[in-house]
Amino acid sequence: MGSPLLLAAAGEVGGDFFRERSSGTLPCQANEAHLFCWDWARENLDRYGTPTVQHLEIVLISVLVGFAIAFALALIAHRTRWLQPPLLTATGVLYTIPSIAFFFLLLPVTGFGRDTAIIVLSAYTLQIIYRNTMLGLNNVPDSAKDAARGMGFTERQVLWKVELPLAVPEIIAGLRVATASTIAIATLVVLISAGGLGTEMYGSNFNFPTAIIIAAAIIGLMVLAFDLLFLTAQRLMTPWRKARPT
Amino acid sequence: MPSGETDAQSRSGASSVRYEEATKQYPGTAEPAVDRLTLEVPAGEICVLVGPSGCGKTTAMRMVNRTVEISSGDVLIGERSVRDREPAQLRREIGYVIQQVGLFPHRTITENIGAVPQLLGWKKDRIRERSAELLELIGLDPELGDRYPAQLSGGQQQRVGVARALAADPLVMLMDEPFGAIDPINRERLQNEFLRLQAEIRKTVLFVTHDIDEAIKLGDRVAVLREGGRVEQYATPAELLMAPATEFVEDFVGADRALKRLALMRVGDINLWEAPLAHVGQATAEVRAKLAAPDVEVPYPLLVDGERRPLGWLSERDLSADVVPSRPDSPLGPVLERDDVMRDALADLLQGQSQYAPVVDREGRIAGVLSVEIISEFLASPEAKSEEQPAAERPHG
Amino acid sequence: MPLASFSGAIEFIFSSQESNVTGGKEVGGFDKSLELLIGHIEVTVLALAIALIVALPLGLYLGHIGKGELFAVGIGNAGRAIPELAVIALVATLIGIGMRNVAPALAVLGIAPILVNTYVGVRQVDSAVVDAARGMGMSEMKIIRKVELPLAIPTVMGGIRGAAIVVVATATIAPLAGVETLGDFILNRNVYGENGLLAGAILVALLALTIEGLLALLQRRLTSDGLKLKTV
Repeated sequence: MGSPLLLAAAGEVGGDFFRERSSGTLPCQANEAHLFCWDWARENLDRYGTPTVQHLEIVLISVLVGFAIAFALALIAHRTRWLQPPLLTATGVLYTIPSIAFFFLLLPVTGFGRDTAIIVLSAYTLQIIYRNTMLGLNNVPDSAKDAARGMGFTERQVLWKVELPLAVPEIIAGLRVATASTIAIATLVVLISAGGLGTEMYGSNFNFPTAIIIAAAIIGLMVLAFDLLFLTAQRLMTPWRKARPT
Repeated sequence: MPSGETDAQSRSGASSVRYEEATKQYPGTAEPAVDRLTLEVPAGEICVLVGPSGCGKTTAMRMVNRTVEISSGDVLIGERSVRDREPAQLRREIGYVIQQVGLFPHRTITENIGAVPQLLGWKKDRIRERSAELLELIGLDPELGDRYPAQLSGGQQQRVGVARALAADPLVMLMDEPFGAIDPINRERLQNEFLRLQAEIRKTVLFVTHDIDEAIKLGDRVAVLREGGRVEQYATPAELLMAPATEFVEDFVGADRALKRLALMRVGDINLWEAPLAHVGQATAEVRAKLAAPDVEVPYPLLVDGERRPLGWLSERDLSADVVPSRPDSPLGPVLERDDVMRDALADLLQGQSQYAPVVDREGRIAGVLSVEIISEFLASPEAKSEEQPAAERPHG
Repeated sequence: MPLASFSGAIEFIFSSQESNVTGGKEVGGFDKSLELLIGHIEVTVLALAIALIVALPLGLYLGHIGKGELFAVGIGNAGRAIPELAVIALVATLIGIGMRNVAPALAVLGIAPILVNTYVGVRQVDSAVVDAARGMGMSEMKIIRKVELPLAIPTVMGGIRGAAIVVVATATIAPLAGVETLGDFILNRNVYGENGLLAGAILVALLALTIEGLLALLQRRLTSDGLKLKTV
């Protein structure tokens, strides 16, 4: 597997995301031994704009869709006990299949592009969100549920007013993990022509550490930002957890 | 707006509870958990269901609010069957207190108390008012209303549990070993507070416990149950102690039932003996004359002051003078009050190693004399069936 | 671009065919499939072994002494967010291509789940049990081996399974760094054609599921019966 074949293949798969590197006036070149080229970084930061937006879009849609499905499944499984093991297994299987394989398995069905990416990425989030939601619901103290029912809450009221609010920390924990992994895996959607920050790590940039490092850094920042977002949301939604015995 | 207490009193309503051959049979079991229970709890009374573990007392209690569904027979609140309404609707009219309390960790105390009112659609202001009212009623600082359950002690949480059950002014209260998880000291306090509360609000209460002492202390009527929810005896605590219907009840009540009875009485409840009274400066001849009287009950004279307050017992030496001295020979020993619990009075007598102890009224004036003999005579006599007081009025410290 | 069919892909795996892309050259077939499969397994096993050797003892130790929670959990979180493509690309460029360089890189990805799960698994062991063991006179090492590890098996195995998933997945793009794995079929469409693409995807998926299944069985074997009664 020589370099020419590799680049040619990359060109084919990368499609129209193959980019010409900027002119050779800069000191940093591909295949030149270096780690990070600040000049290039400064000059080319703006080309990360579109991929970042694409990346964000795909991640947000995937997580939302995944959450919607997994949450619904969890609510169903919460009522119908016997569904719990099979659902756990099913979502687990989806998680086990490596994303790349998954992307390409869907090709005959949905082809290249964003849709396939979103389907696969959502499927990936199912297991962790489903599992965490179930965990959160199962950790609600029995006495609270018993009291609620005994006081006259209907089953639905018990779910929405008692169980779910108390399950929020677990659910958000699941969302955090799901979002972090989705952000990371979404770098691969470049392989099915769906854009994203992976484009800066592939194709002509494959041998160019600076570009890769910048892209990875943006990914890292994205993960941190979402993490903080979720943490803040959790703090706001669960004021009772800060309360300490006086 | 009337004060909190009278408001609770005037608004409170209570219904009787009646079991009619109520049965609970769990599928796959040979014997029913509760077998044709028939029992009536008059409105405004505390009925304690007591018995060993597994006798079905909790199951029976839960049949009232249908957290356990009735297999056959019926349970009526007032004149309505509990099957008449949807369970959720029914339960909103019944106060429900469980051992682990089950406060909602994610809601403030005020919100917890207001849980059922909120379900019933009360306005926010009214809920807040009611919560504050109840907090006061159960003896908690209204400031705690904004705290979360995790910030309260176990005893405080239990009280909130009771307040929460009272919030919507239920017709009936169900309490399942509510004080079981509390340490003995706080448990006694909570029991006393509960009785004080009941004296004010007079709810119909179905109380489940495995502790016979608690049953006797709290119950207006006590039902001793054995497996299958079978009623061995359903009677007032005094009856239970004096005349246990079966060997099971006798064993369950315990060998010290005589002492247990004494805990239910006050000193002033029985007929005390009289001692001849002597005043300072009185001629001793007069005193000796009183002593010699044929119907004298206590053979020692008691020195009292102008207000008839006891000062001490007079001895032979005292009486050898012409006039009664101001300082008696023998010290007073324990002085009992009419309001004292008889059991404590007995303990004082035994401890003080005196045969007789003066009993005074609220103003400190002599009302009679108590002795161990009087107590044992009383226990043995048939008229010991004194008027039973409701639990709320019995001595509880 | 003709859409591949699944039947075509299955055929591809087993018999070599004329590729319609590189003009007549024979590609695919059982031998090639097996070769790449073995390559994939090789790098996966190697990477997991390295990850286990590094992360398992560390996780056990930290969990046992109860320190380093921030570290372990932090690594766990960070590990989840590492883009696999970046790892492969950087390794290929900065370090070098070939198994010797790629396997450690994959190992790094696998360390995160193993470390955090081992740590958490050991921490979750009932301290009363550990106390009792210590009171009986067990040495610290013995406690880890005979008490904490067995009780933490479900969580630890969960971490190992997670690591396996990540490693298998990243090994799929290892061809970009000169390691021949099943990803070859996927990444070189111009060589192997549509059928090859699909074939690669199917094989990778099957491999991943098989490994997961084996690990699940292993977990079942390693979990003591007493624990099995408690699990969900």
